[in-house]
Amino acid sequence: MSDKKDVETAEPPKRSGQRAAYLDETKYAISLLVKNRLVLTGIFMSVFFVLVAIFATVIVDPSTANKFDFTNTYCWNGNLPSWGTQASICPTSFNYTLGSDGFGRNLLSMIILAIPLDLSIALEIVASALVIGIILGAVAAYAGGWVDELILRVTDIFFAFPFLILALVFAAVLGRTIPNLELAILLVWWPVYVRLIRGQMLSEKNKAYVEALRALGVSRTRTLFFHLIPNSIYPLLVQATLDIGGVILTFSALVFLGFSPSPALPELGNLAADGINQIFTAPWLLVIPGLVILLISLGFNLVGDGLRDVLDPRLRR
Amino acid sequence: MYEYIIRRSVLLVFVLFGVSVITFYLSRGVPTAFNPCAPYITPKMPPSVVQAVCASHGFNDPLYLQYFYWIRDVFSGNWGIAGQWANGLPVYGVFAARFPYTVELALSAVVISVVVGLPLGILSAVRNNRPVDHAARIVALTGISTPVYWFGFILQLIFFYYFFQWGLPNLPNQGAVSLSAPHVTSYTGIPILDGLLNANWSYAWDAFIHVILPSITLAFASLGALTRLVRASMLEVLRQDYITLARSKGLSERIVIFRHALRNALIPALTVAGLLFAGLLGGAVITETVFNWPGVGYLSVQAVLQGDSNFVMLYTLVTALIVVVANLVVDVLYAVVDPRIRY
Repeated sequence: MSDKKDVETAEPPKRSGQRAAYLDETKYAISLLVKNRLVLTGIFMSVFFVLVAIFATVIVDPSTANKFDFTNTYCWNGNLPSWGTQASICPTSFNYTLGSDGFGRNLLSMIILAIPLDLSIALEIVASALVIGIILGAVAAYAGGWVDELILRVTDIFFAFPFLILALVFAAVLGRTIPNLELAILLVWWPVYVRLIRGQMLSEKNKAYVEALRALGVSRTRTLFFHLIPNSIYPLLVQATLDIGGVILTFSALVFLGFSPSPALPELGNLAADGINQIFTAPWLLVIPGLVILLISLGFNLVGDGLRDVLDPRLRR
Repeated sequence: MYEYIIRRSVLLVFVLFGVSVITFYLSRGVPTAFNPCAPYITPKMPPSVVQAVCASHGFNDPLYLQYFYWIRDVFSGNWGIAGQWANGLPVYGVFAARFPYTVELALSAVVISVVVGLPLGILSAVRNNRPVDHAARIVALTGISTPVYWFGFILQLIFFYYFFQWGLPNLPNQGAVSLSAPHVTSYTGIPILDGLLNANWSYAWDAFIHVILPSITLAFASLGALTRLVRASMLEVLRQDYITLARSKGLSERIVIFRHALRNALIPALTVAGLLFAGLLGGAVITETVFNWPGVGYLSVQAVLQGDSNFVMLYTLVTALIVVVANLVVDVLYAVVDPRIRY
């Protein structure tokens, strides 16, 4: 340690060389990201939806979700062009921009109320899968031997499953509530992260700096948590960004396949599923919430895809 | 090599065992959601008889014994019977009758994604960071981000409903053949193929127009992954020294790309297409449900909703088997094709 100090005092740099290089690297990565219009669009889309999610209850009174009006269901008499279907004619006082749903509620308000729910579901699942993946993957890579073999074989089993059906069976067993559906998706989602971080850490743990840390007498636990994991986490963050869209899609697919927690719940997949029975009379009820799911998912996918290109030096040019 | 194949096959058995144990525990351990006894009882049975019937099939025994009974039955070829939703027929027969429909749909979807995804991926690698690349990226990422059921219903809305409204010839949106279609001798169970084998062109045409919308729906989702992968592997190859050599020899760009780069870039792409097909054979659960496609994916959802443990067990095991075997075959083929890979 004293040697290191001597070196630093011997030639006082403004910033230590490595740190400067690191910062330049980060700056360079950010500049690459922002230069790419598609990624920029993705960032704007994601930020927009996150902002809508944060201020949803300010924009729309949450209690409107419970105000049913069965005399004005499936209305479309706003200023937008008609859908060429036999939509119900409703009083002109009933002027909802995006029409009304099967409970006579304002579809636009329901979508705004649904966005925070969907985003938080996705965040919870992805974050939990990340934590499980990092712990198991790090243990597998670091311990090696039979522990590694055991964890890998268990992920093998989960990879072999038809994953939507496993989630369906699990949801059927647990019962149809939001936490149970989340648990069902989590059950099929974590193995990807285990594999990812294990692979990453295996290549990381043989690098010279790990040996240097050991020579310095740094404990194994400290090496694992403060050096190995932070250094192998980038691909996981990319995967997590990409997965936010995937999780929202999967959740809405479970709801579509008949596992809705409650028919009136303002959740994007639920709103769309409600529109399926009216697809040829009130198409907006399926089309618009589905489009919002697509846009949220696309936003995060654009960001994740751009991140992957930037973080993978081989794809940069 | 042979040692490797044997080791992998042992692991394969282990994986299938794990899959069956987990599914069995989920679908038998909680009788409120899945009642394994349901297929054997009728509504008119008095409670005492119900008790006796269930006990005689061993459903009151501990779970590990029930699992043992199940394994014993499976090895003697008896997968159990399905519930009332499938008329109480043996689940194996129900599965086998519907599997060809899933094969037809999966095959058409893979053909579409390869025919569209391959050129798109190559083009976006060759024209890296040019407008074509960006357009391909948008198409690919939109495919990945689209809710499958939503896309399926949009296609139905446009090509079935609006086309009908506008007086255009519309495409069918339900099933694999028309209900009014004549009966043809079934050789393969695959409708298009059966129509052709019977030389019944109108039947084959009818089956063909039925598969268009579902296969586009299914292909759109897998197209994205394939395009991105082809692009990545093509970029990787284009950066290698032998390509630079080929260019410096003065070969035209067309020959460099099609003769030299494409061959090597195609290996991972075709692998993914193969794995995709294997995955789709498990049934495109959502697509089949949207289009009422009579395949195994649609049936499996019905089985879960009806709490039919026997069908769910058979379905998960067969699809898991297809996926693991496909993975094994791919790994072995890689070693055969690429002399650098040694196991």
